[in-house]
Amino acid sequence: MESVIEVRGLRKAFGSHEVLRGIDFAAQKGEVTCIIGSSGSGKSTLLRCINLLETPDAGEILYHGEDILTGRVNMPRYHAKVGMVFQQFNLFGNMDVLGNCVTGQMKVLKRSREESERSALKYLRKVGMEAYVNAKPRQLSGGQKQRVAIARALAMDPEVILFDEPTSALDPEMVGEVLAVMQNLAQEGLTMLVVTHEMGFARAVADQVVFMDGGVICEQGAPQQVLGAPKSPRLRSFLSSML
Amino acid sequence: MPTANTSFFGWVAFLLQKYGMLFLRGTGMTLLIALTGTLFGFVIGLLVAIVRSFSPAPERPGHHGALEGALCAARGMLLHLAQLLLGAYIQVFRGTPMIVQAVVIYYGAQYAGVYMDTTFAAIFIISINTGAYMAEIIRGGIISIDKGQFEAAHAIGMTHWQTMTTVVLPQAIRNILPSVGNELIVNIKDSSVLNVISVSELFFQAKSAAGAYYRYFEVYFIIAVIYLILTLTVSRLLRWVERRMDGPDNYVIHGSQSDSRAEIVVSRENEEEVSRSWKA
Repeated sequence: MESVIEVRGLRKAFGSHEVLRGIDFAAQKGEVTCIIGSSGSGKSTLLRCINLLETPDAGEILYHGEDILTGRVNMPRYHAKVGMVFQQFNLFGNMDVLGNCVTGQMKVLKRSREESERSALKYLRKVGMEAYVNAKPRQLSGGQKQRVAIARALAMDPEVILFDEPTSALDPEMVGEVLAVMQNLAQEGLTMLVVTHEMGFARAVADQVVFMDGGVICEQGAPQQVLGAPKSPRLRSFLSSML
Repeated sequence: MPTANTSFFGWVAFLLQKYGMLFLRGTGMTLLIALTGTLFGFVIGLLVAIVRSFSPAPERPGHHGALEGALCAARGMLLHLAQLLLGAYIQVFRGTPMIVQAVVIYYGAQYAGVYMDTTFAAIFIISINTGAYMAEIIRGGIISIDKGQFEAAHAIGMTHWQTMTTVVLPQAIRNILPSVGNELIVNIKDSSVLNVISVSELFFQAKSAAGAYYRYFEVYFIIAVIYLILTLTVSRLLRWVERRMDGPDNYVIHGSQSDSRAEIVVSRENEEEVSRSWKA
C-alpha cells in the first residue's frame, strides 16, 4: 500500500488557540478518507494545512514520502497534484464555466488552449455541466457551482483531491447531485480526503474514517468499525447528535 | 467690435468667434493631459497596489539551507523597503495640493538643470498625483475581493502574480470603475491648476482671452460650459464601459437531455428560460 499523503505530528495554533495538536495519519492511493468531527475540531484546518493555505507550526506533511515543508518541493506542481474543493465553491467570478476549468491548466501546467479546453470539457461532461460552458458562476445554483468546482479540480489531473465540507453550503435538494459525482469519482479510484458531515456518504464511500476531536485524532479505521462500533464516548455522543 | 452696450450674449458670441479656436485647442490640451495622466496614473496605481499586496513569505518550519534562508530574508527586506517607500509616495502625493506639486516639480527640475516641456510636465504631474490616489483605490478593490478567490487560485498552483492578474484584478477593476471614473473627471477639472506652470490647457487659454477685453464673466462662463460638457460625456462613456464589462445578461445552454442540438437561452436575473432554438 502506497500512501500519497502522510501527516506526522502536525501542529497549528492561531494565536494562543491550538487547533491541531499533533495529527498523524496517511491517505492511501485510491482510497477515500472521510474526516468527521464537530465544528472547531480542526478538520478544515487540517485540510488547509495539507494544501498549505495555512502554514503548520510543526510536523511533517509527506507527499510520496517527501516533506513539502522543507521548501524543496516545487509548490505550483504540488498544488496541481493536490486539488481542493471548497465549501463556498470559490469559482472565479470573472470567468465563465469553461474559463474556470481552463485557466489553471494553461497558467500552471502550460497546456495549450485547445488541449485545456478538451480536457475541461471531458470533466465538465463527467460532472454533468458541459451544457453550461459559457454561463457565469453567478448564474448557477449552488450544486451546479460545486460540480463545476470539482471539474476545475479534476482538470488539473490531480492525484488527490481535498474536499472541505463540499455540501455544507448547499440547499438540501442539491446535496445529492454533488455526492453522486463524488461517489462516482471514488469508484474510479481517485484518492480523496473529504471533510464532511454526511455520515451516509462516509458509510457508503469511505475506505477510512477519521474522527477528530479537540485538535487530535480520536478514532480512525474502517467505516463499519468507526461509525458502527464507536469506542470512545465522545464519538458515540457525536454520532448520536448527527442522527 | 462690441461696444459698452453689448449684451452678455453678444459678448459670448464675439468671444467665441474670436477665441473659438483658442478654446478648442485648450480643450484638446485639457483632454490630452487628463486622459493620459489618468491612464498612466492607473498603471502606476496598479503596480503600486500589486507590490503592496504581497505579504512577506511566512516563516516555514523546516530545514532549508543557510544560503536559502539568507536569500529569503534578503527578498523579504527588499520587499519591505519597497513597500515602505511606496507608502511614503502615497502619503506625500495625497497630502499636498497638486498645484504645489506642479510648481515644486517644474521649477525644482529647472534648479537641477532639467527644463521640462510644459505638456510633458503636465502629464508627468497628473500621472504621479493620480497614481497615489489610484493605488489606494485599487488596494480597496483588491481587499473587496473574497478571500476564497485567492485561495482557489493558490490551490490550483497559481503564483501570487498569476492570481492577481488573471483572477483578482479583473474583478477588482470592475468594482472600482466608478471610482476610476471619478478620478478622470477630477483630472479634467483639476488640470486647470497647471496654468501655474503655463500649460496651455483650457483655463490658461481662458485667462489670456479674458485679459484681452477684461471680459472675465463671459469667458469663464464659456469654459464652465465646456468643462461641464466634457465631464458629462465622460460619465456617460464610463457607464457604457461598465455595462460592457458586465457582459450579456443571458447565457446559452448547449444541448439538452432530449435534443443535443437545442440551444436554450436563460436570463441571468430569474434563471427563466427566454427562448429555445434548434441548430439546423
